[in-house]
Amino acid sequence: MPRTTTLECPGCPPLRALTFDELGLIKVIEARGQQGRAEPKVVERWGEPDSSKSVLAASIDDRKSDPLLAVARRNGTIEVLNPLNGGLRFAVTNSSDNGGDDPVAGLHLFAKKNSELASRSCTLLTCTTNGNASIRSFELTKPAADVASSGSSTTWSVGAGGSISCSKVDRSENYFLFGGKRVEMSVWDLDSCAKIWTAKPPPKNRLGIFTPTWFTSATFLCKDDHRKFVAGTNSHEVRLYDISAQRRPVISFDFQETAIKSVAEDLDGYTIYVGNGSGDLASFDIRTGKLLGCFLGKCSGSIRSIARHPDFPVIASCGLDSYLRLWNVKTRQLLSAVYLKQHLSNVLFDSNFADEEAEIVNPPTDRLQRDELSVAERDEGETRRVKKNKSKETNGSKKEAKTKGRNKEEVSIFGGRDDGETPPVKRKKSKENKGSEKEPSEESGCKKLKSKKSSKRLNRADVDSTS
Amino acid sequence: MGGDNNRRKRSESDGGGEEPPPERKMDVLPSMIKNKEKRSAVHAKLKQQKKLEKRKKAKARDAAEKRALELGEEPPAKKIPKTIENTREVDETVCKPDDEELFAGNDADEFSSILKRESNPKILITTCRFNSSRGPEFIKELLSVIPNATYYKRGTYDLKKIVEYANKKDFTSLIVVHTNRREPDALLIIGLPAGPTAHFKLSKLVLRKDIKNHGNPTSHEPELVLNNFTTRLGHRIGRLIQSLFPQEPNFRGRRVVTFHNQRDFIFFRHHRYIFEEKETKQIESKGKKTKDANGESGPKGKVIARLQECGPRFTLKLISLQHGTFDTKGGEYEWVHKPEMDTSRRRFFL
Repeated sequence: MPRTTTLECPGCPPLRALTFDELGLIKVIEARGQQGRAEPKVVERWGEPDSSKSVLAASIDDRKSDPLLAVARRNGTIEVLNPLNGGLRFAVTNSSDNGGDDPVAGLHLFAKKNSELASRSCTLLTCTTNGNASIRSFELTKPAADVASSGSSTTWSVGAGGSISCSKVDRSENYFLFGGKRVEMSVWDLDSCAKIWTAKPPPKNRLGIFTPTWFTSATFLCKDDHRKFVAGTNSHEVRLYDISAQRRPVISFDFQETAIKSVAEDLDGYTIYVGNGSGDLASFDIRTGKLLGCFLGKCSGSIRSIARHPDFPVIASCGLDSYLRLWNVKTRQLLSAVYLKQHLSNVLFDSNFADEEAEIVNPPTDRLQRDELSVAERDEGETRRVKKNKSKETNGSKKEAKTKGRNKEEVSIFGGRDDGETPPVKRKKSKENKGSEKEPSEESGCKKLKSKKSSKRLNRADVDSTS
Repeated sequence: MGGDNNRRKRSESDGGGEEPPPERKMDVLPSMIKNKEKRSAVHAKLKQQKKLEKRKKAKARDAAEKRALELGEEPPAKKIPKTIENTREVDETVCKPDDEELFAGNDADEFSSILKRESNPKILITTCRFNSSRGPEFIKELLSVIPNATYYKRGTYDLKKIVEYANKKDFTSLIVVHTNRREPDALLIIGLPAGPTAHFKLSKLVLRKDIKNHGNPTSHEPELVLNNFTTRLGHRIGRLIQSLFPQEPNFRGRRVVTFHNQRDFIFFRHHRYIFEEKETKQIESKGKKTKDANGESGPKGKVIARLQECGPRFTLKLISLQHGTFDTKGGEYEWVHKPEMDTSRRRFFL
């Protein structure tokens, strides 16, 4: 009877996201359950509320084995954590500054340099607001050590005169761009630590007014191409720059009336998501500058960070209204919103999260097992989807038995998507096996598991081939 | 409208000892009759029937109560009418009393130093650029309400410059009274040094001289009453308002300033009170929308508080809350009201 316009929130696909807020807390939000219908909930909260430890920047390297999460805090420390259980790997203080004066503006944890498991080192790139950038690598000693021995480090100053407020490293991790208040966007080559390109501000508009440069967010457009990037300014403009073409922006358009606080690119290389200071989130086609649509969902606070899920068509946005919202990319519908009590500053997806129906209580250890598993079984040499596929492989191969003559890849993909379709009975069996092996084995006990698993798979493969 | 008619039908079928039952489905909606005279006749008849039913029900209820009282039993429970406040949409951002993140957040926010009495509030009041008639009067009254406030003329300074100036001179808050059509209509409360900016819409302003039997405020520090700021956003606004007044737990004067939040409107009232012994009278509390620091009274010899209103009376409604100081272009909003957020009549944010 009361007249209401409800926003019905269908659930979201199984995923796991980490949010960082201004009291230094890291909250883990997981959505588990049927495919596409899960309600996300806060499952863990790491850290104690302390405003001096408020998180300024975060970066995740979610590879299968030994994933790392780097977090930069306001008091100058940079902590590297294990994103599965929040355990602290090590913490360093930014030695170049006195803590509060020169806060970190950008942080990136390199992934490609750590592909070999033997060398357990991690490399961090940090950039502070005064323009001091440094690359440091640390050796990770085996147990969760509190002090890390620092390896090599390079420091250089990227620019004076203003304060940096946004920085990004591209997918191939060779180039690094940044910009800020009174600092033009510039692209640096990381190997040589040299500036290769700087932007030029657009000319005066017809009234003769020259707006001062103030970039508030930036992102590379596509993971293969380091030459194009999108930047958002304080005066509600979104600009596309192309390094190989010219120094002035190629396309530039206005969006609403408040500063563009965050920009994120989509996987297809030409769609971007823009969030501004009054909570409006929209997607644009950057090739033409056309607005594809706004995401309507009662977001009333500035959007500080947008993250795109690597597999599902889902994006997450978080901001000053203390909500984490998950949206469907295609239909621009709000999938769900989680209230998180503090002003949020960053959100990151953890892509190595696969949900299974009979998933029991211990997600971290479970995933750790599967991590080790998939690392050991790298025979197929796939991409990030490996982990999910492997865990689904057990079920996927059962599907194969039913649907013959299908490519294994396809089946695994389907297996990954259709959680509920495989018969529960068989799955439980496999789960029980996993479960029984779970308790005794820790990280080091993976070998036993692996052999058992592989033998199982072989058996089933035999079955398939014969059937 | 369809809903109303359904309700009416249902009530008629329920109340139904009266009317012959077959009327249930055969009943013609008055709105379907095209002939105006006939329609109004049918409607009038329906209304009269409903009125009779209602009276009968009320009589029956009173009779039952009286009987129960006479027999010494419990009277049947009184039904509570549904109000919009009763049926307010459940809001998950309501502050819970055991929330440690809330306390940590409070410690860390911009007002904590004033609220912990480490520093004294010092307010700068100014106006918008074009100022006239009611503006200065209202400001004079505000100066008497808020202790330790000073008025500076606006001149043609930029608001950002004024914020810098106030920071230099160690003010803790800045209030800008904005007038429109010769009436004050917006209030901007900026916490300093880097504090949030709250933009309120001001309405229903009644100055002191227009209140009958008004009193004159003394210069004691007032007691502050903040009612009904339940959600996190409301809590933050409550602390913002609290930071305008000095926090003195042992207050001496009998002066009270009340900010009462109801349905997202904040009502401001300013009273002087006095406690008295009263004999037999029972004072009813005033209407729902006005709040007083009421003392309840019982049958004999109880202490009640008598109030005398002094000072202006106005209502505020929050339009937006910005994270830093006033900055329209580059500002980040913590909360801004958007029409798409009004999904129902029972949803409130403060």
